[in-house]
Amino acid sequence: MGDFENWASATFRQAHIVVDDDDLAFVQLIYVSSMTRLSVLDRINLDDFPSRAIDLRRAPDLP
Amino acid sequence: MSHPQDLSLCEQATAIARGDLNARELLSATLSRIGERDATINSTPVVFENESRAMLDDAPRGALRGVPITVKDMFALPWRAARNGSERDLINATASGPFRRLRDAGAVVIGIANQHEMGMGTTGAISAYGPMGNPWNPATCAGGSSGGSASAVSARLVAGSLASDSAGSTRLPASYCGVVGLKLTYGSVPYDGYFGASTTFSAPGVIARDGADARLLASALLNRPLAPASGASLRVGVVRTPFWDDVDPEIEAAGESALRDAGWKVVELRIEHLELVGAAVLGRLIAEATAPSADVMATLSRPTRAMLLAGMLAPARYVPRADRVRAAVRAALAGAFGDVDVIAWPCTPTAAPPLSNPWVSLPSGQSPADGPNMRQTAIANLSGIPGISVPIGLHSSLLPMGLQLLAPWGQESMLLDAAEHLENTTQRTYVNLIPPLAR
Repeated sequence: MGDFENWASATFRQAHIVVDDDDLAFVQLIYVSSMTRLSVLDRINLDDFPSRAIDLRRAPDLP
Repeated sequence: MSHPQDLSLCEQATAIARGDLNARELLSATLSRIGERDATINSTPVVFENESRAMLDDAPRGALRGVPITVKDMFALPWRAARNGSERDLINATASGPFRRLRDAGAVVIGIANQHEMGMGTTGAISAYGPMGNPWNPATCAGGSSGGSASAVSARLVAGSLASDSAGSTRLPASYCGVVGLKLTYGSVPYDGYFGASTTFSAPGVIARDGADARLLASALLNRPLAPASGASLRVGVVRTPFWDDVDPEIEAAGESALRDAGWKVVELRIEHLELVGAAVLGRLIAEATAPSADVMATLSRPTRAMLLAGMLAPARYVPRADRVRAAVRAALAGAFGDVDVIAWPCTPTAAPPLSNPWVSLPSGQSPADGPNMRQTAIANLSGIPGISVPIGLHSSLLPMGLQLLAPWGQESMLLDAAEHLENTTQRTYVNLIPPLAR
């Protein structure tokens, strides 16, 4: 097993979820794709996106 | 009258109230039609002969008295748990908030609307009940996750269905099936007994054949009148890239044609941070998608299980960053609605792909349908605003196309006004199209 499979298997084992090799291959595919898409969030300038409280049950305030 | 399910939802309700249509006969005819027509589309895998008759016996004299509808498998009913398209009961049987609203309006729940397993797909190709076919071509996708709702309404099995929408799940199948799909504003309906309550993205939605039917159903769900007004003088904002550019050229042309037919003032719009919406949606959704217990996980399809498992591995650092983007996008959208009444772009970027291989071909390349579909719709879920998909004709593949309209917070009525105006200016050509299965 590679590093990803070992790490993922251990995480799932902690959650009492049994996976097989086909599961792990599928998970790796989705995980890698997701991390690529999420990495854009690593590159945002936090000064441009200040932390604001979001009240999801109300319309947002105008900027 | 050939069959009472060929009447619209409004016509059924009016005819029952006037005594022109016997609600018991309507119920029996609806059960028969589901039995006759549903085999190839699998929209309504569970019907409630006894429970629906009991509901009818007790139905109050509300706006929907005696009208049969289906309910997505994401909502618990007093006699049935919510399974969310899986094999297992996930929320115990109870009168969920949306069910209570519809029951109190007199509606009769006649069956479960099939859905994509766990709501985690936009095609309807995977479900514990089996895949959902599109009445326009049962070998193509009905869409998801509320595929059974859209398919049943399109096939004239029922005139209305309770759906839900976490990233486009009401609007996308409506677009694929040529019906109207309205996502309500986040939090506008009681969420108890509703599987979508576990995320900050999900809202109930309605699927119907036209704007007037969607208005009637949505009004019952929201428990407030949605008075019609003219949709003739709306200012419509369009954002070209990627929402109009990276779609099937026939759909782009049909959308442009619809805007011209409506005679609306069209304004080119720029909304800040749109390029980050997809990542913010993903960062939040995978954090919120609770992995079910191990015994439930073992029963799920491999793709759904893999998505849930991958979410368990996602770094937590993306959640606060996604929330910062979410706050900025909500504010940017609120600002954009200062200049326009509604925002428009195509709903699904292609017509329904084959169930056997639900990939789509776009100017930007080929990909599984889910990514491009959610790119078109999930901004409404990130921001909580309402959205609607309305039919705008048939693609050369003889499959429907849909235009999406987004409105400010709580402005469902404006979307319905726009939908009905478009129906009128196109002589109801698109909402009156009937799929081969229903002819």
